[in-house]
Amino acid sequence: MRVLIVEDERKLAQIVESALQAEHYESVVAPTGEDGFFRANAEAFDLIILDLMLPGRSGLEILQTLRQRHIETPVLILTARDGIDDRVLGLDLGADDYLVKPFALPELMARIRALFRRGRPSDVLRLKAADLELDLVTRRVMRGDAQLDLTGREFELLEYLLRHQGHLVSREMLAREVWREPRRATPLDNVIDVQMTRLRKKVDADGVPRLIHTVRGVGFVLREGEP
Amino acid sequence: MSWWSTASIRVRLTGWYGVVLFLMMAIYATATFVAVRHEFLEQLDDQLHDDFEAAEGHLIAGADGRIVWSGERHHDPDSDEERGSDVWSVSGEPIYRSTASASLPPAAIAAATAGGRYESLVINRSRWRTLTGTSSVGGRAVVLRASRSEDRVRAQLWEILVVLVLGLPLVVALASLGGYTLARRALTPIDHLASEARRITADRLHERLSVPNPEDEIGRLATVINDTYARLESSFDQLRRFTADASHELRTPLSVIRGLGEMQLNRTRTPDEYKEAIGSMLEEVDRLTSLVDTLLRLSHGDAGTIRLSREALDVGQLVRDVASSLGILAEERQQTLKVDVREDVFVTTDRLVLREAFANVIDNAIKYSPKGSTIVASVRADGERAVVDIVDEGPGIAAEHRRRIFDRFFRLDEGRSRDRGGTGLGLAIAKWAVDVSGGQITVEGRPSGGSVFRIVLPAAAPAIRNPHRDREPQLKGEHV
Repeated sequence: MRVLIVEDERKLAQIVESALQAEHYESVVAPTGEDGFFRANAEAFDLIILDLMLPGRSGLEILQTLRQRHIETPVLILTARDGIDDRVLGLDLGADDYLVKPFALPELMARIRALFRRGRPSDVLRLKAADLELDLVTRRVMRGDAQLDLTGREFELLEYLLRHQGHLVSREMLAREVWREPRRATPLDNVIDVQMTRLRKKVDADGVPRLIHTVRGVGFVLREGEP
Repeated sequence: MSWWSTASIRVRLTGWYGVVLFLMMAIYATATFVAVRHEFLEQLDDQLHDDFEAAEGHLIAGADGRIVWSGERHHDPDSDEERGSDVWSVSGEPIYRSTASASLPPAAIAAATAGGRYESLVINRSRWRTLTGTSSVGGRAVVLRASRSEDRVRAQLWEILVVLVLGLPLVVALASLGGYTLARRALTPIDHLASEARRITADRLHERLSVPNPEDEIGRLATVINDTYARLESSFDQLRRFTADASHELRTPLSVIRGLGEMQLNRTRTPDEYKEAIGSMLEEVDRLTSLVDTLLRLSHGDAGTIRLSREALDVGQLVRDVASSLGILAEERQQTLKVDVREDVFVTTDRLVLREAFANVIDNAIKYSPKGSTIVASVRADGERAVVDIVDEGPGIAAEHRRRIFDRFFRLDEGRSRDRGGTGLGLAIAKWAVDVSGGQITVEGRPSGGSVFRIVLPAAAPAIRNPHRDREPQLKGEHV
């Protein structure tokens, strides 16, 4: 998988680049709009991460020209502009996803995975991690031989963690995907933390290896062994 | 017109005053003159009538059957020139003619009647008034004419006219001058007010206009302006406080991040220590991010640039949703969070915005109520309004803080609320959210302790407030 990062802020480009490398994606950084446009035209990429405010040529302009030339590489816009109009414009011009700065790296990675996954239907009926098993049809959850008694919200939360197992999940993502509420300006963080504590008590009861880990300042991860 | 509309108020006032006064005076003078003239001429006719009768008395029938004038030529020599009497026989022969009336033409004998007839004549540019009639002396008919010159009366009337016509502009001019002075005196306080007001600028907002008499018009104006200054001053104060508070709130996480970074780098540490420090820094970044997000949202709200969707919302359902989402926090504190929906009531506003209002107020109640207490959120309809009361058993809010509790960054207790994860913006967001939904949020104390946060919203049309909700699934709140 090759990813083109069009981003003029050097530090941010480096961070995204190393995050991609950690997931074994190959990446190229274009520091200006011109460079980005040239590379997107000349080389083949599986994904373009596009900043909007760029020196030389604006991100939206690049996007528009690419789509006019029928280059259908998925594009993820990464920008500080968070107005509804900006999002709508970006998506209408042919972007596949839109993420507002400052963003959480786990969320960026989750969205990139989702873009790569797109088009491939997931026919998963069971989610598993170590001896934890979640059945999406019967909505039963087993840890080893014991059946766990989860509330609706706890089930959804565990399902989300299992779907992203091995990857970090931020509170932002949980708020949007599990609670389906915008996190900002509402007291949802505390709710997520409390819910997570309860879920963990049920899933990681005494005496079994811990699966759900808190990564301080970032979020949560469901993974076997150390986080 | 353009000169007139730009002239000062006192010039315009004086102008109007002058015009009105002139018209009034002109009408008054004309009426006076007409009345006086009428009176004078009437008087003249009366005198003629007297003269006529006096002349009759002077006629005597002689022994030879001739009629003679027996009187002196005239009893008042001074007025000889001005009045006269003439007598003719019915055949038109003059019997007697006075000197004064000698210049007058003979009377029209045939036209004379017993009642007498008044006539005006102009002879050599002088006007005469005459009374001609028949009379009988000793059984013989005669024609008698009394005449008086109108010149004296006319001269008097002319004098009166001159006085009136010349006097009128003079009076109007004098009165206008007086009016101008009055207007200037009356309007001077306004000039004074303007120069005082000009003195009060943004950095001298604590100053006020002087109000010598708060009861008069100028005093009331000054009071109104002073009230405006007071409101302005309080908004400026609020803004200043907000800027100070905001920079404080933003600087705190920044200093923590900086301090942590500097401390970690001053010597080599174990990976765990680094992890701990970086995690701690990220937490602060998170706090900073949510603070900036919230501030941005509020400032977009202030600028009116947030686009709100408008949909009919079931208030009770929305409160239930919020309570079920936040209920877990109350559970943690062994609190009971009850929702009491007494009536189904709908409002038309943005779902997410209204949710923010309820969520922040309920979260606030959970955060500051003691463990094991009960929080009740009740929803009812009150006429055209939807009323949501959130009642807690917390420590309550002192009356003097109630007004400021919705201010941005206002905290009752600095340390404690920050420990509980508050940004100091929750209630400010709630207030903003209620405001844009066209409602009001207030806080009251309870006699038994605790507070009541009341959110009053304009209810949607009663047609939508249908108890049979199954038939209107589109109105149902989306279950989360």
